[in-house]
Amino acid sequence: MSETMVKDNAAAPVLPRPRLGGRQALFDQMPLLALAVLVIVASLASERFFTPMNLNNVLLQASVMSVIAIGMTYVIIAGGFDLSVGSTAALAGCTAAWVMVEANVPLGIAAGVGVGAVVGGVNGLAVTVLRVSPFIVTLGTMVLVRGITLLITDGRPISGEYGLPGAFLEIGRGMWLGVHILVWLPLGLFAVFAWTLHMTAYGRRLFATGGNREAAYLSGIAVDRVTASAYVWCGALAGLGGVMLASRLQSGQPTAGEFYELTAIAAVVLGGASLKGGEGKLYKSMIGVFIMVVLANGLNLLNVHSYWQRVAIGVVIIAAAAADQLRSGRR
Amino acid sequence: MGCGAELLSVRNVSKRFGGTRALRGVCLEGERGQIHTLVGENGAGKSTLIRILGGVYRPDEGEILLDGTPCRFDSPRAAQAAGIVVIPQEMRVVHAATVAENIMLGAWPTRRLFGVFPTIDRRRMRDIAAATLARLDYHGSVDARMQDLSFAERQLVVIAKALCHQARLLILDEPTASLEHREAERLFELLAKLRDGGVGIIYVSHRMDEIVRLSDACTVMRDGAVVARRRRGAIDKDEIIRLMTGRDLGEMHRPHRNDFGPPALSAEVDGGELTIRRGQVVGLAGLLGSGTTTLLRRLYGAEGGAELRVSGRPRRHDGPARAIRDGIGLVPAERRLALAMDLCIRDNIILPHLARFSTGWWLDGHAADVMVEHLIEQLDIRPRDARRPVRMLSGGNQQKVIFARWLVGEIGVLLLDEPTQGIDVAAKSRIHKLMHDFVDDGGAILFASSELQEVMLMSDEVHALRQGSRVATLRRGGGDYSERRLREVLGG
Repeated sequence: MSETMVKDNAAAPVLPRPRLGGRQALFDQMPLLALAVLVIVASLASERFFTPMNLNNVLLQASVMSVIAIGMTYVIIAGGFDLSVGSTAALAGCTAAWVMVEANVPLGIAAGVGVGAVVGGVNGLAVTVLRVSPFIVTLGTMVLVRGITLLITDGRPISGEYGLPGAFLEIGRGMWLGVHILVWLPLGLFAVFAWTLHMTAYGRRLFATGGNREAAYLSGIAVDRVTASAYVWCGALAGLGGVMLASRLQSGQPTAGEFYELTAIAAVVLGGASLKGGEGKLYKSMIGVFIMVVLANGLNLLNVHSYWQRVAIGVVIIAAAAADQLRSGRR
Repeated sequence: MGCGAELLSVRNVSKRFGGTRALRGVCLEGERGQIHTLVGENGAGKSTLIRILGGVYRPDEGEILLDGTPCRFDSPRAAQAAGIVVIPQEMRVVHAATVAENIMLGAWPTRRLFGVFPTIDRRRMRDIAAATLARLDYHGSVDARMQDLSFAERQLVVIAKALCHQARLLILDEPTASLEHREAERLFELLAKLRDGGVGIIYVSHRMDEIVRLSDACTVMRDGAVVARRRRGAIDKDEIIRLMTGRDLGEMHRPHRNDFGPPALSAEVDGGELTIRRGQVVGLAGLLGSGTTTLLRRLYGAEGGAELRVSGRPRRHDGPARAIRDGIGLVPAERRLALAMDLCIRDNIILPHLARFSTGWWLDGHAADVMVEHLIEQLDIRPRDARRPVRMLSGGNQQKVIFARWLVGEIGVLLLDEPTQGIDVAAKSRIHKLMHDFVDDGGAILFASSELQEVMLMSDEVHALRQGSRVATLRRGGGDYSERRLREVLGG
């Protein structure tokens, strides 16, 4: 009956953006402000912060984490949670190293990403089909995948008899236009995944499923498939992160990526995504990643003991969550 | 209207949220031993006022007097300590705890075990709870768990809890919205009894019959201000509707028709056939828990698989996606089941039609915007801002968003579950008009409502359901098409 309406293209109205109160807008940009303050403080505290070498270092440190955080943002928006990304990264790094020693580099990278996607698929199936809570499922896979990694590597790094292939090591060392190759990669991924999240039908399905599963289901959305797909993306990206890490470490390290899951979740929450699902922006998660990395970097430059760094990061995470509560409380 | 010295007196209270003035100089009295009803459309400011009285919000201007002395409630706790108890539509109870524990929640009587260890005195707790419930003529077990109780029983427990906490002023927000006819009658008796016992009652409702019947006084609100106050005897239903909405609402009577189109949807229900024809509104009447919701969800494929015929073709629905593809839309009873509250109006409307608006991966945002803008205009959804998250909309407008969703594309059958529950008379009549327009354009509607008057008013044919099975079918034009007859077969 309303078919005509759909085809009617007359006079496209310009949709006004919602007018937000000044305070609301300020709260919305809190992560960016926090990052700015952090950068200013860090550069005032140490003249070494704003050197090209250190900035490149910051970017490099952020690169692996931002790839993982992209996947984590997807899962969290879909209303889930993934604790297994750190272990997955380690398994993927070792698998990639092993395959490229036995075969070649492209196959190795594909194997790393593929193995990550498989772990993600297992998480997704367990969450949707078995209806186990994401926290428990991924806690399980976190331990399980780490165990598998240690089993197949016998706890030793994998770098082959003569080291990993040079082409692969070049990815970890090489520069392009004065910036590490490993920094360009997440930039491209960010563009693709941000577009998918915010501009496509799939993205709307993801938001709707995370925001209200029942409403999404009654709207004909295959909610289980959407949820599971988010875990697959997350696993595949964690796998890619692991491969990137292996190229930096010049070997597959079975103990790599420990605490990455916590840093990634913290970064996404810092970026304002809601752990209840249905809310989040990819660029803000990236800001969250930089807050974590700049904080660690600044504390390093100031020679703060690494034990104290953990304390500081813990405080920041709780503060971010509290700020988020404050914001939603004002609605 | 003057603000006299009463049990509770609200004087010139104003409240704004951002740029919106939710309340403008409102006066209200809560008198001892009186039932004071508060009416108004959604968004008229009733909820804001209640929240101020309950200590959730603080007023920007004006004052609240309790027993003639000004007071401030900085928290719901402070309001309760002063004897003001708000009973919201969605009551907060501890489902896993027993009736007695809920009634005495936070004020459990204690004793000292062996004269030393403080413990809860369970016996005294049960005795006090039972005594309070007896005052309300409720004689169920105080050891039952809240989760095993019906809605009406839980409501009684919450009222008992209020009495236990020495409530002097009870504020009830649409207490009958989820009650069956008989349960509502019982609640009215109870309220009358409490009133006669000296408790002040402020009663919010959308149901005009209740208001006329219960009110000792009635305050009408519109756009954040009080527009009228009437005393018992001077309360006229039509006048109140006019005051609330600012216009007359003639009830639309559906003429008797026989000339329906071909069957749009038919299914086997309980051994018999249920058919909805194009151009026809079929009503499902049943009290709460009579299986109407399950039936609608089953036809939609949301509750196990369903074998049915759509436009004569046999189909199997094992998920909403199939049903939508066959041109069937569902409006569930609770808005929170239908809307992703954090998504904007536009995204909620196009949610079932994402594939239609995409080519491959790409979502054609422009086409969606154009269509959504039309629908916002057509259904008068406010605010007229497609990017506004739906959680910021009033209930009536949220319901319109859900309806708008099914005016997109080739939806030919609407399954409506309590489509007007909890929305004000103006929004309700607009929903009714939408239903009429939909069938006049060749659509078919199957709709369930526990408000029997509405079912009779809107339908061409009514099926009465009792505990999941069909007990009678009434046809408009047939001799027994009356609310009384329907009540009889439902045993209500």
